[in-house]
Amino acid sequence: MIEVRDLEKSYGDKRVLNKLSFSIGPNHIYGLLGPNGAGKTTTINILCNLLDADAGKIFFEGNPTSQVTKQIIGVVPQEISVYLDLTCRENLLFFSKIYGLWGSEKTQRTDELINALNLQSYEKTKVANLSGGWRRRINIAVALVHSPAILILDEPTAGLDIEARYDLWELIENLKNSGVSILLTTHQLEEAERLCSCIGIIQKGRIVAEGSLNKLRSIIPAEQIAVVESDNENMLLDRIRSYGWEHRRYGSRLILLMPQKYNLVDIVKQLDGIPLTSISLQEVGLEHIYLEATRE
Amino acid sequence: MKSYINEIMAITNRILIELVRMRRSLIFWVVFPALMLILFGLIYAGGNSSAKSFDYTAPGILIGAALFFSCLGGPVALIVAERERRTLRRLLISPLKPISYFIGIVFSYVVIAFGQTLIVYGIAFFFGGRFHGSILLGLLIIILSVFSFVGAGFYFGSRFTKRTEDVNGPVAAFGVPLLVLGGTFFPVSILPSYLLKLAYLDPIFHMNQALKGVSALGQGVEDVSIHLIFLGAFTFLALFLGARSYKSMLAQEKRG
Repeated sequence: MIEVRDLEKSYGDKRVLNKLSFSIGPNHIYGLLGPNGAGKTTTINILCNLLDADAGKIFFEGNPTSQVTKQIIGVVPQEISVYLDLTCRENLLFFSKIYGLWGSEKTQRTDELINALNLQSYEKTKVANLSGGWRRRINIAVALVHSPAILILDEPTAGLDIEARYDLWELIENLKNSGVSILLTTHQLEEAERLCSCIGIIQKGRIVAEGSLNKLRSIIPAEQIAVVESDNENMLLDRIRSYGWEHRRYGSRLILLMPQKYNLVDIVKQLDGIPLTSISLQEVGLEHIYLEATRE
Repeated sequence: MKSYINEIMAITNRILIELVRMRRSLIFWVVFPALMLILFGLIYAGGNSSAKSFDYTAPGILIGAALFFSCLGGPVALIVAERERRTLRRLLISPLKPISYFIGIVFSYVVIAFGQTLIVYGIAFFFGGRFHGSILLGLLIIILSVFSFVGAGFYFGSRFTKRTEDVNGPVAAFGVPLLVLGGTFFPVSILPSYLLKLAYLDPIFHMNQALKGVSALGQGVEDVSIHLIFLGAFTFLALFLGARSYKSMLAQEKRG
């Protein structure tokens, strides 16, 4: 439904997007992950027609981008960008009119969204008086007034407590199940793991790894991850080299990429004689994949 | 055409609802000119009859204490708030046409100005003041004044103010001296001749003189033509600069 082909964008000498390509099928959530400055916001701005790409093509439902696509795309910005002094209902009615809905059509769509997003109790409440989670909900609802086929969610749960986050995840899954294709950008890897059927990791303006979580696991040459701290790191490194184990350093942490599944006791035995401060075992997760893919 | 009208109505309606909700601005825009009118009306009444004093005071108060703050300060605050809350960016993503947004804002301030005119002249009438000239000509002067202020508001809001805290600075720094020089609160006859010459470059002077001429003295188009020409030229300039700044602000917002 969305296909991005060889997108390029530069600001002066700085290349922000470098032949970026990805596609999102119907009823899918595509997670776009990457460090700050990787090109996520520029990609979204181009998708929304706020910026022009220097090269490349974007197709929505087979059609190249133009103003017409504003009617099939819904964007949920990271900030709560609705009118705080208006009620939830007034915000929905206002944006319905902006998207060309009038009369009974506008009222009907507003009612539908209030019900679909469980906003009934707050429809006459000013947005300024809502909690963070409910503000996020109305922020999403406003992007749905014109029943878009594609929804872009930019950090939809940033700054929310766990309960509100779970509520919104359920809502996003319901939207996907209702037939909306979703592009999600997030820094919360747990969110991407939970929601996305396909994940693209973007770095320096291009996709460096892409696929389902299972497929992405293959980029880590490990069955398991051991996180180790030692007072004598040189000794530790010599030992793991002798076993042929690879290691990575993420910040101050030393990560051992275990080529096969071990239990903790076996690893401690293999590292016998090395002064260990702490050691723990983890399954390979999106965090490790992300760090591996964005490794310089 | 229908979609333009619908969009303009949506913007105007939204701004007016927000204004009613934000009672603080509404009260300021009503109470301040009302109190200023009563105060200056009574001060100038002195030995004269109060009716005549209110005849002369109402036009200046309407222009300087009512329309200036609502129609110049209002759009500046509105644009800054839209940028700060990122709602402007959301509107840019929507199919809303930029011209509809611009006209929607102008219309909402025409409605507000109409309400303020009713209040100011309502109070003046209560104290015996009257509108002596052509009401249509008076409305034309008021509309041109509103357009000038809103155009200037767009210019300042787009160019010089990025945060809510920045709003009062340019309005006070550029506006209040123009109010004083324009004879808002006292007759320009007390100005020294060199300041009077300078006052001819002040659009508020022409707004005041034109409206005072029509409202208090019952003058016609010929009598106030010089002020109308200045006011018309300034309105065109303000709207042109406002629209240009608005266009460059939208381009800047799109870049993020």
